[in-house]
Amino acid sequence: MRDILNIIHGNRNMIKPTPLLRKSGLSSNRFKEYYFALLERGLIKEIKDAQENKQIILSEKGFRFLEKYKTMINFIEEFEL
Amino acid sequence: MRPPIEFLFPPELGAELMYSLVIIICSLMIYYSTKEMYELSSYKGIKYFRMAFLFFAIAYFFRYFIFFFLAVFDIDNFLWLSQWGILGLSRVIFLYSSSMAIFYLIYSVMWKKWNHSKIKTYAFNFLALIIALTGSMLEGPEVSLFLNIILFVSSSFVLFIAYQNSKNKQKGKNLLIIYLLLFIFFFLNIINVLIPEFLQLYKIGIYLISISLFMTILYKVLKKMGN
Repeated sequence: MRDILNIIHGNRNMIKPTPLLRKSGLSSNRFKEYYFALLERGLIKEIKDAQENKQIILSEKGFRFLEKYKTMINFIEEFEL
Repeated sequence: MRPPIEFLFPPELGAELMYSLVIIICSLMIYYSTKEMYELSSYKGIKYFRMAFLFFAIAYFFRYFIFFFLAVFDIDNFLWLSQWGILGLSRVIFLYSSSMAIFYLIYSVMWKKWNHSKIKTYAFNFLALIIALTGSMLEGPEVSLFLNIILFVSSSFVLFIAYQNSKNKQKGKNLLIIYLLLFIFFFLNIINVLIPEFLQLYKIGIYLISISLFMTILYKVLKKMGN
């Protein structure tokens, strides 16, 4: 999930679904799983650009997730959670 | 008749009040400082870790409430109220919360290996309720003590298994020691509630060590959170 968020972030926080799938290197089914999980958790949002194309962006929560990711991993490792 | 301030804060409970307050504050600080991390990640291990300390806070609150009630009210005159009323209910909540705190702390470490499912959480709740109700409804503390001993021994065993499977043995060993000590002293606190006169001589020592264990865990949490 972090990798998907990083791809969006690295693409100037806006990317279409197909390039995102391609860059993630995941199978279509696995990508859909992660994509909907990210949407459900409010880490990403779908918007329409000026040409009415669907674009995916990071939400504020998504930005926070990326910021705090290393802290979370360290915490999980420290307490073996 | 006591003056109002002594009614609310009986002098004989000074140590109990300070002890309970410190533990409750430590536990709640752990619970709230990990809130954002859980909201961002929805990671189950973090959830169970937080729940453990929330239940510790509840347990220690009711632990103090039981001592307060016993110190302030003459239960011989209000026995029927105490057994099945406020005191009885407090004991149920205290014993239930104590068991759930231990379960959740163990589960926070073992949930991946135990194929996490909601049924396990329901099973924990059921067992904790059995321990709580037997402790409160039966005459004498023996059954409750026995059940808590089983809980303590099985929790320690599970912790040891977790340590054996730990990737980082040094870190795992430190955590094992802290959690084991936490269980030992928490178990001694439960004995202190069930048989108040049993550990009188060692009470202050138990309190100081328990406080340092909670503060150690709080320190580790805040350090990892970058606070």
